[in-house]
This record gives sequence, C-alpha cells and structure tokens, in this order.
Amino acid sequence: MEKEPEQIKMENKVPAKERIIAWPRMGRIDIPLKALLLSLGAKVVIPPPNSNEALEIGVRNSIEGICLPYKLNLANYIMALDKGANTLMMFQAPGSCRLGNYTKMAQKTLKSMGYEFDMVIFDMYKSKMKQTLHAFWHVTHCINPWRYYKGFSLGFNKFFAIDTAERLLFYTRPRELNKGDAEKCYNKWLKITDETNSVLKAKRLKKQIIEDFKKIPIDKDKKVPIVYLIGEFFVLLDPYTNQNIEKELGEMGVEVQRQIMFGDWLEHVLKPSIFYHKESHRERSVKYAKKYMKRAIGGECIETIGDTVYAAKHGIDGIIHISPFSCMPEIVAQNILPKVSKEEDIPILSLVLDEQTGKAGYITRIEAFIDLIKRRRMKMTNKV
Amino acid sequence: MDKKLLNKKVGIPRAISYYNNYPFYYGFFNHLGIEIVLSDKTTTKIINEGCKYVVSDTCLPVKVYAGHVVNLLDKGCDVIFVPSIQSTNYKINNCSKIRGLPEIIRNVINREFIMIEPTLDKTENIDLKDFCIETARVFGISDEKLIKEAMKAGWSIYNSFLEMTQSGIPYQEALANALNRNSAKKTIDIVKPLSVVIMAHGYNLFDERISMNIIKKLEKMDVKVYTSLNVPHEKAISSIHSLGEVQYWANELELTGTAAYYLLNNKVDGVIALSAFGCGPDSLMVDEISYHCKERSMPLIHLTIDEHTGEAGFVTRLEAFVDMLMRKKRSQLEKKSDKLEKQSAEILKIRNDKVLTGTSK
Repeated sequence: MEKEPEQIKMENKVPAKERIIAWPRMGRIDIPLKALLLSLGAKVVIPPPNSNEALEIGVRNSIEGICLPYKLNLANYIMALDKGANTLMMFQAPGSCRLGNYTKMAQKTLKSMGYEFDMVIFDMYKSKMKQTLHAFWHVTHCINPWRYYKGFSLGFNKFFAIDTAERLLFYTRPRELNKGDAEKCYNKWLKITDETNSVLKAKRLKKQIIEDFKKIPIDKDKKVPIVYLIGEFFVLLDPYTNQNIEKELGEMGVEVQRQIMFGDWLEHVLKPSIFYHKESHRERSVKYAKKYMKRAIGGECIETIGDTVYAAKHGIDGIIHISPFSCMPEIVAQNILPKVSKEEDIPILSLVLDEQTGKAGYITRIEAFIDLIKRRRMKMTNKV
Repeated sequence: MDKKLLNKKVGIPRAISYYNNYPFYYGFFNHLGIEIVLSDKTTTKIINEGCKYVVSDTCLPVKVYAGHVVNLLDKGCDVIFVPSIQSTNYKINNCSKIRGLPEIIRNVINREFIMIEPTLDKTENIDLKDFCIETARVFGISDEKLIKEAMKAGWSIYNSFLEMTQSGIPYQEALANALNRNSAKKTIDIVKPLSVVIMAHGYNLFDERISMNIIKKLEKMDVKVYTSLNVPHEKAISSIHSLGEVQYWANELELTGTAAYYLLNNKVDGVIALSAFGCGPDSLMVDEISYHCKERSMPLIHLTIDEHTGEAGFVTRLEAFVDMLMRKKRSQLEKKSDKLEKQSAEILKIRNDKVLTGTSK
C-alpha cells in the first residue's frame, strides 16, 4: 500500500539561464557542490563562513525556540541573497526532526523580508538519486549527460578527498613534531581540491593527499588517547558552531575520530542500493544500539547510541557528544547515554551548544574530561 | 510467559497518549479481559519524581511521563504500557521524544518491570492492527478475531467520546460518560461575552496540574473556551489547508488545526497558546499560527509552562489578556453603535432636507 512520494513543487520564477545559486554552509560541502554546479554551467554564490556576524543576523530574524542550525542556515541565505543570489537550494528529509520545517520557514521569513528568489528543495527521503538529478536539472536546465558525469564524479571525488584529508589531519595533529604542520598541509590540500577542475586530477587527489601527509614528521610511538566525536550532524561538521573542537582536542594531544563524514553519508544516501555493498553507518549503528534502542526515532539519535557502543567495544578511550540546544533526537540520546556509559564502561561528556556558549567554560570542561581519560588509561595500563 | 503477565493487569501512565487515546485503550483492554491500572493524577511529587530520572533538557510532558511510570511501579504494577506512536499517516511523524518514549523509559528507569511497547508507524506500513496485535501478543493472545473485536470495542468507545466532546461537553465529563457507555446530551449553552480557543496538546491542557486548571480559570472570568476536542479531525485538516499550510507533525494538528478552524470561522475573540518549555514542534507551530493571527489582527498570547511555573504570574497574564480582549470587544461594539447612530442621524437629516425643500422624486 505504498504511496508514491509526492513530487515537491519547485519554484520556477527565475529563468534557468539567469540563475545564481546559493546553499547553506555545512562543513566543507561548498567545495564539491561548487564543482558540480559549475560543470553543469551554473553560476554560484558562496556565503561567507559562519561567524558571530552571521549568527547575529540569523538570531535576529528567526524565532527564539528554533534550533541553532536553522539560525545559521537563514543567515547564510540572507548573506547570499545580499551578494546577488536568486536561487536557494536546501535538502530536507521529512520525518526526521525539525529539519523538515526549515525550508518552509526560511521561505516565509525571507519573503516577508522582501527578498525575491526561487527555493529548490532536495527531498532525501525516498527515490533519492532521481530526485537529486531532477533538482539539478531544474536549477541548471543542463541536458548534456557528459557534464552530469563530470560534475558528479568531480563532486564525489572531492568529497572523498576532503574526508581523507580530514581523517589524516585528526590522526596527525596530536602526533606532529612541529606544531601546525598538519593544519598547514590540510589547508593547502583544501585549496588544491577546490581548484582542481578535471576528473582525472580529482581522482588522483586522494592518493596525493595520503602521500603528502606521510611526509609530515610525527612521533609514531606517542601514546595518544582516542576520542570519538558524536552527536548532531550539523554541529559536528561546522567548525564555527562546535568552536573548532577537533582542533582544540588535537592540540591537547588527543586523536579525534568522527564517524559521521559527509562523503560517506552522501554516498550511502545517493548510491542505489544495488551498487552499495558496504555495511552503511546506519546499519552498523542499528546493530550495535539494539540493546538500548529498538527503533529509529529520527535525527541521528540511533547513530549516536550505536557509535558509543561500537567505540566501547573497540577500545576507544572516551566519547564527546555534542548537540545544539533543544535538539529533540539528541535529548533522547542524552537520556540514554548515561546507561550506555555505565554498562559499556566508557566515559562520556555531553556538551550542549547554543548561541551563547562561552568558549572558556567549554574548554575547561573538555580539559577536565581529557584528564579523566588519561588517568583512567594510566590506571588500566598499570593494572595489566 | 512471565508470571507478571498472568495477572492480566496493565498499567497505563496518566500522561501523553492517555489524554487522547484512553477511551480506545479502555475498550480494547477491557474486551481482552485485561485489567487497567491507572497512575494517580499528576501532582508536584510525581513531577519531581520524574525530574530525578530524565536529563534536565527534556520537556515537561516527558518528565511527567517518567513520574507516572514510577508512580505505577510504586503501586506494585509492573507491566506498563508505553506505546511508541511514530507516525499517524504517510510521512506525518510525531516528535522524536514521543516516538522514543519506550527508549527513554527503558534506559532511565532502572527497576525491574515489563514494558509493552507496540509501534504505530504508518510510514513503514505498521498500522493500528499491527499495533494491537503486538500489544495482545505480550499477554499470550493471538486470536485475530478476538483482537479485531477488541479493536471494534475500542473504536466504539472512542467514537462516542469524540461525539460528546465535539458537541461541547467538557473533557472530564465526556470521558466518564464514554467509559460508562453512557451518552450524555449537551446541556444548554450559556452565552458568555468572550470566547477564546486554547491551542495546546491534550496532555498539557487536560492535565489539571500542568495546565493549572486554565479552563476553569477562564470560565470563572466569564470566557467560553474552545479546545482541540471540539473540532472534528477532517475540519482541522481542511482548515490548515485553507490557511495555505501543510501538516508536518502528527500531533501538532491538535494545535494548528484547532486554531486555524476558529481563526477561519471568526468564532473567537482571542487565541491562547499553551506549550511546554523546550517543546520543539510547538515553538514552530505557535509561530506559524501567530503569523496568521497577525494577518487577521487576532490577539494571541503564548504561555510557556515548565515544572517551576508559578501560578500567580500565570494568572496575572491570563487576566491581563482577558481584560485586553474585553476592552477590544467593547470598543468594537461602541464603534458599531456609533456608526449606527451616525447612519440614523444621516437618514434623518436627508429626510428632513427632503421634506423642507420638497424636491424628492
């Protein structure tokens, strides 16, 4: 009795040739998406990175009770529209959390502010690839299949390159001998990735990045505690919102591992299931979270729990769980985590972020947590 | 089968889905021969008990729910019915906390008890029948015919309850009558000078401790109160469609549908939004309705409640709102009567002129 998902009506006021496209920032999504849209022959505007100024704009124009990611998204839209964009893109997944309300609310708010634009929505719920292609056709009116091939393979390869660079950065940062080497290398490759314009070169990026990171002198024998970073998708990926927690932890000599990577997620979401053979992150989480959760309840709640159990079973030293204030799925996760922590014997720190989070207090808590982990590790090794 | 289940007793916490679905549960379990144990009415003690178990960021209704579960356990009832109502229609989901109620309860309350946790998820094609079969299976009942009959019994009580509330009978009375299988008739409607609609979830509004008896307080101030129970489901949906909105959340229809219905038919003088602090969907939906209220210049007050809300401040705000409505209505009436006077004066003047000059045709 499956009903067909309704085709979302896409606005079509701006002629395809005059479209200037913008989308909200989330992690480094701008680099691959820009490559894709440019190769489809579209013009793009990239809003400036999230900052206090952006947040202020967002807070001013949205209601109080909405979650932090929306406020930043709205600010991105406003800044992009001011820079001349006339088409806004957003993906949504109904049935997860308040994310499904974002587009409609943003549309209403922006229209009441007097902006004129088209909103194009990617519905990531079912029949994803078809929807995505349709949405890209809609914004660009490009019918050349070679360009689609080029765009998508550029985009995907860039995603994987960035993910690889990020993983290597997390590994290298706590071990590097000269402080700042890893960061420099990462930034250099981000720039190169952004500038790469041919499929062949893009395919080679991943290998080159691995080789280049190998050149950084590191202390291989250094015993580094490993911390899993879990929580809400947006907060994890956006360095402004999470106050660059990865860097802070890396500089404290802690290796960060993040299970949610944009490229992995996108591959799982977009690739038709026939071609996707790996165990996806979600499947793994459902498997591991079984003892505590029997059903998915939207958002990344089940991933949070699943990752925690996975971490405990694979000798990870601690978990840092971050979420924006009043995020509903993560509140459920927060309720479950103490029990997981107790039964699986793994330390967990839950951090709730909002627009007022002071950095000093935040760092103090992380430092205390890291001390706890280190001492715990020492105790364990002494016992053995 | 567990010994506890042989007693054929089930505990239903007097919170969240109790307020909307209890007539159905009552009919269903009674037909299956299962005794229902209800938790006590919400008290401050129950709320405090619940707060001890869940994280402080959790919204009030879930805290209250946890308190009621503990209350049931204290009463010695250790089979508890905690449904997970994921979605009530294709892609129309509930809020995460309601969807994950069993997950929360299982993990925060560290005591021995059996939880009956059926799932209702129409997006994934798990409908009410599966929900009921799953519930009955726990008690070792697998006779599909019996389950079907029990569902029918549940529906008949639920429908008579809805019929009564929609005719204007207050919640408590309608519930009592429905459970006793009586059908009450609407008493004479007393005309009151003001009327408001309260947009709130059943579990906030009809819980006398949480809502601080707001309905009675308003009635004492001579205000007629409409609630979500007065609006039929189809009309709620059609009203939000005619406001140009679509339904996104399952249980938010109670709020938006009701408010939209009364906004459109101009039956009320004001809207009162009552929501729990930290309620995600409510924050959006109240905003949505307030946008439409502004367009139609309908006064709206948003009252937020949490476990600390002091009653005095709450009453003051209500009184101020009612006073404002009263003043608005009076000035409108005055304007109207002024207009009438003016018109009649003009008519008189014209008449006099005609008589004096004698040029009328």
